[in-house]
Amino acid sequence: MIENFKQVARSIFNEYVEAWKKSGKFVVGYPCTYVPEEIIHAAGLLPFRLRGIGISSLSVGDTYFGPVICSFPKCVLELAGNKKYSFLDGTVMSNGCDSMRRLDECWRKADKDIPGIRPGYFHYFGVPHKVTDYSLQWFEEEIQLFIKSIEEHFSISVTDQDLNNSIKLYNQGRRLLKQLDQIKIGEDCRITGEDALALVVANTAMPKETYIPILSGFLDNIETTCKIIPGRKRLMIVGSINDDLDFFKVIEDCGAVIVADSMCFGSRTHHDLVEETTDPVKALAKRYLNHAYCPRMFGYYKERLNFIKQKVVEARVDGVILQNIRFCDLHGSENGIFVRDLEAAGIACLKMEREYGPLVESGRVKMRIDAFLEKI
Amino acid sequence: MRKESREYNYDWNLWTIVENASRAYDGFEKEYQHLLSLIPNFRGVLEAFVRHGEPGILFLKLLASYTRNCIQAYAEGRKIAASTFCFAAPILYAFDVQPLILEPWSVFGTVILQRGTGEFMDYCCELGFTETSCSSQRGALGAYLAGLGVDIDFIICDSPGICDTNANSFSFASAYLDIPFFQLNFPPTLTDERARRYHRQDFHSLIEFLEKQTGKKLDLSRLSQIIEHVKRQDELAIELMELQRLIPCPMPPIYDLFLYSGRFLMSGTSEYSELLEAMLAVTRKNSRLGIAGTTSTREKARGLFCYIDHYTTDVRFWDWLDSHEISHMGSILYNFWQADNPQAHSKEEQGYCIDDHSLEGMIDSLADQVSRMPMVKSIRGPYDAPGMWLDDTLGAASLLKTDFVVYIGTMGCRNTWGMVKPFTRDLERYGIPCLVLYADAFDDRIQSWEAITDRMDEFMKLRRIGAH
Repeated sequence: MIENFKQVARSIFNEYVEAWKKSGKFVVGYPCTYVPEEIIHAAGLLPFRLRGIGISSLSVGDTYFGPVICSFPKCVLELAGNKKYSFLDGTVMSNGCDSMRRLDECWRKADKDIPGIRPGYFHYFGVPHKVTDYSLQWFEEEIQLFIKSIEEHFSISVTDQDLNNSIKLYNQGRRLLKQLDQIKIGEDCRITGEDALALVVANTAMPKETYIPILSGFLDNIETTCKIIPGRKRLMIVGSINDDLDFFKVIEDCGAVIVADSMCFGSRTHHDLVEETTDPVKALAKRYLNHAYCPRMFGYYKERLNFIKQKVVEARVDGVILQNIRFCDLHGSENGIFVRDLEAAGIACLKMEREYGPLVESGRVKMRIDAFLEKI
Repeated sequence: MRKESREYNYDWNLWTIVENASRAYDGFEKEYQHLLSLIPNFRGVLEAFVRHGEPGILFLKLLASYTRNCIQAYAEGRKIAASTFCFAAPILYAFDVQPLILEPWSVFGTVILQRGTGEFMDYCCELGFTETSCSSQRGALGAYLAGLGVDIDFIICDSPGICDTNANSFSFASAYLDIPFFQLNFPPTLTDERARRYHRQDFHSLIEFLEKQTGKKLDLSRLSQIIEHVKRQDELAIELMELQRLIPCPMPPIYDLFLYSGRFLMSGTSEYSELLEAMLAVTRKNSRLGIAGTTSTREKARGLFCYIDHYTTDVRFWDWLDSHEISHMGSILYNFWQADNPQAHSKEEQGYCIDDHSLEGMIDSLADQVSRMPMVKSIRGPYDAPGMWLDDTLGAASLLKTDFVVYIGTMGCRNTWGMVKPFTRDLERYGIPCLVLYADAFDDRIQSWEAITDRMDEFMKLRRIGAH
């Protein structure tokens, strides 16, 4: 079962998306955990989180983006430019960070040079950077506009009932992933970080209706199907986006197991649930905007620090790896203060900068992890 | 950081230099000439300002006044707020709060000190900043984080939604120093009702924050005085912009720096009004004589710097323009989008008006003003959306009849590096020669000033700019 999830995580166009498309249904990409997937789902579309794995050059990405830009949006654009995202019927752009928000223009401009690489539905979704009553109100309106644009483009109607059903379904998925987190942090860890990441990534690339029963079955049988992983250093990983299983594998092959995280392909995505008893748009706005674990939300450092500290205690973590993709100043700089404050609290830290994309620097990563594990 | 760099506070050191520089020309010419022989390390930068006559000297006096105000704020019982260039300072002055605007402080260091601010930038990295963070904040912030400056009481930034790396610097400083933080956050659009409502609600929230931090209520009479100055300064700046349209441009290139630096630091104060009046007098005189503002009085080309300028030692950037007989047609920092400024013509909704008839009107005007500050207006949304960077640059290029456009930024500017290639390609399609400089405006270690001038010379030659 894990292998099945790994296949999904290691590819862009997977068998589940293929089946979905064959049934005549549409797929809409989204870039970031601040875009409410429930809306796409409630419209009868498949939300698919944009990723950039499997590229072997950046000839398209580097044509439109400047040189000092995070490699993640460049890789996404590279895939789009090479028509690997041709299965998308739409995509949402968002201001997760400056590099990601410029994917909007770069994708549109690339489409002029390579016609047809931009999906028909292309919507910009703004997200405030702070939580106040008026930013929440603005965000609610943004969600309403998002719903309206989907309804208009795909000629469908999204009712409150549809939204409520999707919220319930997505919460169910989140609860299962939280259950996975509990298994990971247990004293007898039965799943590697690499495998857990595969489950999390697959969550963003498969129909929920298919994913939830498979995940549920896996979790029900985990004690019989997965052996206890003994004698490894327990690590937490924090920082920039990572959907590359090999990155986690390199870390774990050094003699560690990743038992906790604060990453957007990770517990940040499923940590909070959406309220199920109030107006669905308000509930979505509240959940997604209060979802303050990404440093794009400026001024919430203490909340994020406390989140990490709490996880370190719960998961009996031996050390924290604070990593960022080069040019990701948001995670990179915050990691710098995390080192100060976590080390002061007696928590061993390793700060590391890396590239997104093919793991060309596994030797360097391995050497640093080895040294860190020796230290702790 | 080297031990000797810790010997003097960064701000105190710069203040003493600027204070002395501002008085250097108060005596006789002969005394001034003798003084130059005694200050080999500073004569270049001093001359760069003084040779522009009264406006140059007033600019030095404004800098002296501003830096002195920062140094003396505590002794005078004023709180200090660290903020950013794209925040409009009048509301802070209305609360008697001293704005400590980081980027100009970085400019002072890079322009005045022979070794620039590299050590302070690097010190930020020692504390955890990424080395790819924006140098415009790191240059000065490193000194403040090292305790080599006045203590900052709280932080206000208005770059979330505009520039992550800018906002990130302030958020880092707040977390590192454990001091209160307030952000004005901007939506990706400017003129629609939702955006306007958000701007105003956010600004009211800022006022509540300032009331809490200072323990004072907003003083209507003080605000009125400041607003009166702002209105006058807007009129003067608009006239300068109108005169700038003339061929040849009668405005000396360095006035671009005077105009925006003065505004970032002391908008709403009498010192800035006085500086603008002096600049305008010279520009009017040049226009009457039909001569360019360059030293030679000739104009070979008109250059628009679509983002920021370069702040290498001794303000050599503006000297290079002057010596090449190039008129400076402004940058993103130069236009503040008053509704009646020539660049806002026929798109007045993108500009702001000052309503000084009521407290509410003044507050809303300041909210509109801050939401149209340099960078805040133009790069909040997709660059090719109406009223955003491409529109504004094309508008300026057409109105000011520019011969070329140059992009200079910092290595930390994700926001513009994320789309500057398609942006300049679009400008080229409109027939505007463009040069993208892979340099850092605050850090000569990325690309030396000499290498930059080589590239600009090459660009001018290859594109036959000013060859007629």
